Amino acid sequence: MLTLLGDVQIPLLAALLLGGCATKAIKVARTRTVAAGLGPTALFPLKLRAPVAVVMCAIEFCLGVGLLVTSGTFGEDAPAGLIRLGTGLLFLVATFALVELRSVRPDVGCGCFGEFSQTPVTGRTIARSALLAVAALATMKLDPIGPPHSAGQGVALLLILVAELVVLGFLSPEIRDVLVRIGYSAPCELRVVNPEQSLAALQRTAQWRRHSALLASDEPSDIWRELCWRYIAFPSKHAGKDAELVFAVRLEHRRPLVLSALVDTASGDVLPWPTGTSRPARGRRRSTVQVRPAHRSEPVPHAEAAGLPNVRRSDGF
Amino acid sequence: MNLASERSVAGVEAAAVCCDRCPGATTADTSHFARRRLLKAAVFQPQPGPASVAGAGPADSIGASAAAPTADGSSADRHVYRTVTGTITDISPHFITIGDGVSQRRLALTADATAWRGEPLEPSALTPGDEAVIRIVPSQSAIADRIWANIGRVCGTILESNSERLLVAECATRPPQVVVISPLARVRIKVRVPNLRPGYLIDIIGVRRRGVLHGLIATNPQPPYRGDHLPPRAQSGGRLPEAITGCAVWHDQANEPYGVLGVFYPAVEPGAGCAEDAAARIAPGQAQTYRELPYLAVGSALHVRNECTNISLTLPVTGCTPTARLFNDHCTACKTSPRGRIADLTVASFIALGGELEQGCFNATLTIGR
Repeated sequence: MLTLLGDVQIPLLAALLLGGCATKAIKVARTRTVAAGLGPTALFPLKLRAPVAVVMCAIEFCLGVGLLVTSGTFGEDAPAGLIRLGTGLLFLVATFALVELRSVRPDVGCGCFGEFSQTPVTGRTIARSALLAVAALATMKLDPIGPPHSAGQGVALLLILVAELVVLGFLSPEIRDVLVRIGYSAPCELRVVNPEQSLAALQRTAQWRRHSALLASDEPSDIWRELCWRYIAFPSKHAGKDAELVFAVRLEHRRPLVLSALVDTASGDVLPWPTGTSRPARGRRRSTVQVRPAHRSEPVPHAEAAGLPNVRRSDGF
Repeated sequence: MNLASERSVAGVEAAAVCCDRCPGATTADTSHFARRRLLKAAVFQPQPGPASVAGAGPADSIGASAAAPTADGSSADRHVYRTVTGTITDISPHFITIGDGVSQRRLALTADATAWRGEPLEPSALTPGDEAVIRIVPSQSAIADRIWANIGRVCGTILESNSERLLVAECATRPPQVVVISPLARVRIKVRVPNLRPGYLIDIIGVRRRGVLHGLIATNPQPPYRGDHLPPRAQSGGRLPEAITGCAVWHDQANEPYGVLGVFYPAVEPGAGCAEDAAARIAPGQAQTYRELPYLAVGSALHVRNECTNISLTLPVTGCTPTARLFNDHCTACKTSPRGRIADLTVASFIALGGELEQGCFNATLTIGR
């Protein structure tokens, strides 16, 4: 059984690598920008993004082809082991890169499959990369792969492949993007989601439980939407000063991604989370937030200082 | 900036939420919308740890850098036109003086400066008392090269019509506008606007005299359908592109101070409760554009590029424009745009991007930061 499991990994890993390379190349050809939306390249300085993207794509292609070529008796010892080791290391590095990307640019997709990977990186994306790293490293000592010896073995191979595809599908946010692309599902930018739905979704998340103790009021001071995100700001207090606790809720039907920040009302600085509230507040009563406007009485920064671009009066009378 | 004064929270006091056209809208809460970009930037930047208080980045700088306008990669102010508006108090071949009764400003005119008041004319042909929109030469503070006098625009659905006058409903929150069309202008206008009957859409530019627009130019070919019988829009499906090209127009708002840089966007989110959404009989996401427009909020930043002049600018969404959703027309200025209106610019924004007011529109590309 373990041998059969190993046999499935090589073609699967090769298909994923070559598929990732192809979709990246298609995106580059379409956008005519090498570094456009290729996920972890966002971690690099602007000048390095294009070469890094090209190198990543080339490595994926070489490893994908190498896995297929060395899956049989050709290069069955050292070359096959090296390529599988390289594949494992690639996915391992990718896993850490995704962790870093989620921390630094939580709004950016992993870019693993070009245009299909624009959903922000989640734990599932990272888990998929880690799983593939384990799968690749586990095949290092695998014997050459051949056709199944019997019908029963073939069926078993097929079942394992299907099971693994299901697991990968569960871990892949790209599935939704594929459905959007074929017109089966509306893009999130066009999805009509009420503010009440977003609030209800927010209240079910760990982020809410973790930070709701910071709320000075259950009434949001502002709710607005841009593209696939709903932003909900609440009045808060930090070290005796007025602050705003802002949540960004991704407009998804189930388990939406939620990001949050604590912002000083007067200066606009991002504040560190108080250590006492960084634990999940288990057992806290869920507040019933009403979607009502709150009236701001405190002064707010000037429009341009607050980041609104080009909002200015020309010298008219 | 003349933004609405009320909160954009669903369902409550929606009548004045996102619409500049709403009566009673004030400039008091402008910074509320400006603050949205700051809060958004705060969410998407790396969070400081509990011990890194000093490491918290200044959000102002983030907002400012993200908001930096561009004109083909260089400083916007070097390429972007600015405007001055007021009543002409004195005019000569080389200078124009405008004022508002309290102060005056004198501007030099370039040798090739031109003017428009219903038709192209020499600047010296303008007369004191004309309401002028003056385009300032980029990088100059007191040199003008273009003057539009008494220009006005009415865009909406025809309510009543007779041989000389039209009554046009622009939106639910403004009284209907009277448009007078002379027999001579009617012949020219009928080429592009064959249906001057009630129910049909009209977009007309002309000269304002005593509060009434004397229509002279039909900007785009009139949509062949009635405003209350919109054809079903083809579903394009698939993922939205990062850049959307279409027709950008300007609007003539009596209550809006000239000089405001901003854009009315046809797909401000329904939850914002734009006062005119219900009156428009068409949902924000159902604009008659060649493809769907993503939902945004008042305060969102839009990168707008004029495909004719190649000047681009990042502008804030300052209101919703239900009327633009009704128009599924081409802009034929410079390049023919794909169908549909995607942006309704303030006069200052339209001029800043190199647009000619009397043309009424240009082919524009919107890029929305994802």
